[in-house]
Amino acid sequence: MNIFYTLKEGISGFNRARLSALVSTSTITVALILLGGFSILYLNTNEIVQSFRDRVEMEAFLDKPLSDTTIVSIQKQLASLQGIHSTVFISKEQATKIFKEEFGEDIYSVLEFNPLPPSFKIYLQPNYRNADSAQTIYTSLKSISGIDDIIYRKTLLELLDKRSRLFIIISITIGIILTFTAIFLIFNTIRLTIYAKRNIITIMKLVGATRMFIRLPFLIEGMLQGILGGIFASGIIYLVTYYASQYLGDELAELVKAPFALYIGLTITGIFLGFIGSAFSVRKFISEKIVNQ
Amino acid sequence: MVELHNVCIKFHSQKIFDEVNLQVQNGEFVSLVGTTGSGKSSLLRLLYMDLLPTEGIVKVGDYSSTSIKKKEIPYLRRKLGIIFQNFKLLDDRNVFDNIAFALHVTNTSGREIKKKVLNVLASVGLSHKRNSMPNKLSGGEQQRVAIARALVNEPFLLLADEPTGNLDPVSSLEILKLLKDINTQGTAVIMTTHNYDLVRKAQGRIIQIKDEKVFEVQLKTTPAGL
Repeated sequence: MNIFYTLKEGISGFNRARLSALVSTSTITVALILLGGFSILYLNTNEIVQSFRDRVEMEAFLDKPLSDTTIVSIQKQLASLQGIHSTVFISKEQATKIFKEEFGEDIYSVLEFNPLPPSFKIYLQPNYRNADSAQTIYTSLKSISGIDDIIYRKTLLELLDKRSRLFIIISITIGIILTFTAIFLIFNTIRLTIYAKRNIITIMKLVGATRMFIRLPFLIEGMLQGILGGIFASGIIYLVTYYASQYLGDELAELVKAPFALYIGLTITGIFLGFIGSAFSVRKFISEKIVNQ
Repeated sequence: MVELHNVCIKFHSQKIFDEVNLQVQNGEFVSLVGTTGSGKSSLLRLLYMDLLPTEGIVKVGDYSSTSIKKKEIPYLRRKLGIIFQNFKLLDDRNVFDNIAFALHVTNTSGREIKKKVLNVLASVGLSHKRNSMPNKLSGGEQQRVAIARALVNEPFLLLADEPTGNLDPVSSLEILKLLKDINTQGTAVIMTTHNYDLVRKAQGRIIQIKDEKVFEVQLKTTPAGL
């Protein structure tokens, strides 16, 4: 097979049927913009939820002044617990500093003694930043001798878990609907494009072209449409997110930021859908009888 | 070269052929006649294996309907030339490229393509129209381009399905003359037609399709020469 001729046919297929190529590319662009827009919202919302989780920490207060050996022993026990990323010991003195930072007042100006207990700040591993895991860790901490009380933002974690589940269900549903819509739109448009060129398939079959020889130019054309659709969709998304982030201000701008990998992903998705759409459509026409075409 | 043994075809329980037997030898000119829907085109489709018999065997050259694989059908078609009444040319490329198309399929080199296309264009008398687009040609010229494309791979058999169906009487005679010339050079031709005048002038074997069978028929009057 002459690969140069096949490539030329694939590329010139674009030029020969400009309108249908334009329609296919536009459809791929629109479908990818929908998928890309949804991905941006999903990724950024997920990141915001994750940033809330990242802020969740536990604090274990020690019940009375303990010797350094006991504190080291407690720290070792904490480190051995599953799900704990790191711990930081806060002495009574450090606690007074934190108090001053938080309230702007020295504890000794309020009280004559320092009532603040020493504690451990406990940071959880990412996978354990949820209500169930935190509760398990809480129970384990309770059993450690020397720990008097443990606090963490239980209600926030429970709320995040509940909302995350709902968010994931809604996202998956919308994602599936959008993906199928995109595939349906792209496949049908490509099928119409190829239908308009069924004459060339008939003639190829008449003159003895193999199935691969018939198929390849259409696959190349489909991939080209996919690349262009991906590039156009990426460009449009880039411009929209760029101007939107300037208009929305710093905090809301977080919602519309698009990672570079998304543009690559969209272009690859475009190529993939263009390829698969063409492969399926051309297969149908290759299988048809010459006389029916 | 072409053999049909007890061929039956059924379409959705409707019988098209019932135990048809036919042989065509190298270099023959066969006119297939019959009423509309009698199965003339179906018989040609059997030969280029667009249709396989429900029962019986079709042999074309070295290929048999009972043993041919799907992927071998293109290689059979490269040894056949096929033309239709609607020409089946590609409107998006000129005459030269329409003919060259059949050679690209067989992976012929660029230099060889040029030589073969120019030769075949000369043989159908259209060298001067090599850069024209098909829609700028008359019906007769378009059919000659289709014939050139069918011939460019030097087939042993040319299948012509109503080749003059869309042409005026003068162009029809020109196409018939071209087919006869091709036949004289050794290529067998099987032509379906409604045009009995053309059949008379073709001077070859005449096969009539009637009531799901084929019959050899003889003309009562001596055909006039072309």
